[in-house]
Amino acid sequence: MKRALLLLGMAVLAPVVPLSAQIQIGLDQLASKAKETVDITLDGAMLQMAGKFFSGGKSDDSKAKNLLANLKAISVKNFEFAQEGQYRQEDLDPIRAQLKAPGWSKILGDRSDKETSEIFTKSDGTRITGFAILAAEPKELTVVYIEGAIDLADLAQLGGRFGIPPGVVPDGKGKRNKDKTKGDQ
Amino acid sequence: MSNFEDQLRAALQRQEPPRGFADRVLERTGRESADRLAPARRPRRMWAPVWGQLWWGPLWRIGAIAATLTVVSFSVTTYQHTREERAARQAELALRIAAEKLNLARDHVLRNLALPKDN
Repeated sequence: MKRALLLLGMAVLAPVVPLSAQIQIGLDQLASKAKETVDITLDGAMLQMAGKFFSGGKSDDSKAKNLLANLKAISVKNFEFAQEGQYRQEDLDPIRAQLKAPGWSKILGDRSDKETSEIFTKSDGTRITGFAILAAEPKELTVVYIEGAIDLADLAQLGGRFGIPPGVVPDGKGKRNKDKTKGDQ
Repeated sequence: MSNFEDQLRAALQRQEPPRGFADRVLERTGRESADRLAPARRPRRMWAPVWGQLWWGPLWRIGAIAATLTVVSFSVTTYQHTREERAARQAELALRIAAEKLNLARDHVLRNLALPKDN
């Protein structure tokens, strides 16, 4: 009887629990407070689709295409607020808790009185298979989660592509032509 | 007996049908059955034969199929292209933000490392 109930419970919960332990960003409550919100969620199929669009003719396109080819999911949430104090550091705690799971390690944590940058990576022993950034500034909060094999050096080089030369946005305050986007699900 | 009874008896008296009556009845019954079973014919319009000929003619049929396939193919291709473009734009923005934040964190660390200790 107990076994039957257990199986029934598993069957009911099966669609709810994601098969792969992907990080859930949440933070939806901040969208209403934000001046600008970028919310992008792309799964493997969408990334493949995006990869097709990059022609590969230019070297930058080729890099982006190669980068996307190995990714399984990207989630980005970026909130820009009109004034300070619209979010709390504790809002990020549920994400930090998920990033304590086995396989994940914090490779960089830079905290000042007003800004916080944390970088987490997941490794299978030989290569990075997951990557997350939590960047909290007084008027901006960004969470990036990337699932899949990724070379951080390649990713860092993309900072200067898409029409933005390297070095223009070293402090994150450069002009970004940010679309107000709701990601495809 | 009254006159009425005589008239009634005469009226109900069995009479032989005229010659050929059974044949005529059978013939008429058969004709009506055939009419009933035959499909009702719709009146043909003047252009119907011409249109039918054109529609079923091989050239029109091939042309119509080709046009339909072209429209469907174009719609699917356009839809696919739009989805790819949208996904690419979102991936581009996501990677740009990720790269920017990665570089920002790296710069913070490098800046902190470069600070003199007594400062």
